[in-house]
Amino acid sequence: MDTKISKLVITLAVIGIISAIALSFVYQWTTPYIEEHQAQAQREAVRSVLPQAEEFEEINKNGKTFYEGYDSAGNKIGVAMIASGPGYQNVIEIMIGVNINNNTIYGIQILTHEETPGLGARIRSDEYKSNFEGKPFGEYNVVKREAQNDMEVEAIAGATISSQSVTRIVEKAVNDIQTAYGGGA
Amino acid sequence: MVKKLLKDFKNGLWRENPIIVLVIGMCPTLAVTNTVENGLAMGIATSFVLLSSEIVISLFKKYIPNNVRIPSFILIIATFVTFTDYFLKAFFPDIAASLSLFIPLIVVNCLILGRQEAFASKNPTHRAIADALGMGLGFTWVLVLLSAVREFFGMGSIFGFELLGSWYEPMVIMVLPAGAFITLGILVGLMNVIKRRGN
Repeated sequence: MDTKISKLVITLAVIGIISAIALSFVYQWTTPYIEEHQAQAQREAVRSVLPQAEEFEEINKNGKTFYEGYDSAGNKIGVAMIASGPGYQNVIEIMIGVNINNNTIYGIQILTHEETPGLGARIRSDEYKSNFEGKPFGEYNVVKREAQNDMEVEAIAGATISSQSVTRIVEKAVNDIQTAYGGGA
Repeated sequence: MVKKLLKDFKNGLWRENPIIVLVIGMCPTLAVTNTVENGLAMGIATSFVLLSSEIVISLFKKYIPNNVRIPSFILIIATFVTFTDYFLKAFFPDIAASLSLFIPLIVVNCLILGRQEAFASKNPTHRAIADALGMGLGFTWVLVLLSAVREFFGMGSIFGFELLGSWYEPMVIMVLPAGAFITLGILVGLMNVIKRRGN
């Protein structure tokens, strides 16, 4: 019996060790590519929410990472950050860029989400994202009709919860940026 | 011998097709078939894991004691799944992003464990390869067909190409899980009709 049990243990241990060795090689081989893709996606997102910026700088404040954008003359024209919050099915992560000189939003980009394809997933559409372009800081109302003033956000038909989730994340991010940069004053 | 291999291969394509006949591996079948790209990627990823683990297990079946065969199979399958996960993340980030969680979940796809138990652990390697190719291809073609129907009705496109114009109001239910059940049900029914006709 003893020999039998030891044989079982040895078999599983051998398979486990071989598998771990093989996977650590695979991990080493693929990690640089994976990190490169993530960095690239993040760079593109920062660029797209701070369209006029030429130079970018990564800064840590209050334990959060902010991306400051400077124009060609070296003036700080905006700040971007990654913000996340609960969506309809899972966490939604967005990149938001704001103008801290006149307290308006440049734009947002959805980084990750697991919203329903065809419904909530349309938070990625330009139509929805453009809701936030040029908006002043503050609290927004999600409305199920065309937005009539600056503080209204038009919900996606059939995806009110997703629309609201993103709006709440934007509000929170704006708040964080204001706290970190003193409201741009 | 070639005839026998061909029979092993064709088995999975039709007579014992994993999805429409054996009805196993339903989790990815229902979850990721909302676009053809996802369906095809899932089919290929699963086929790769199935083929590699069937080869390894049929090669080493003599050394794996019967009492621990299931944990051993799972370890071997998980190794190949993790490899696939890293590989897709590194070289096909878009596909990895849209399949996300469903790649690691291939580990628990009962199609894969089922074939190790029913075939690879009892047959020589060359037959295991034929079986894996047949089952993988059988799994893939049904996923592609299923996702084509769902993408066509749910988004009016195939492979991301807009086929129906803007006049078409997409049937949102087709890209939701309910659409997968409906399409799969109709598909299994159709296959049964065709089968009965054939007999």
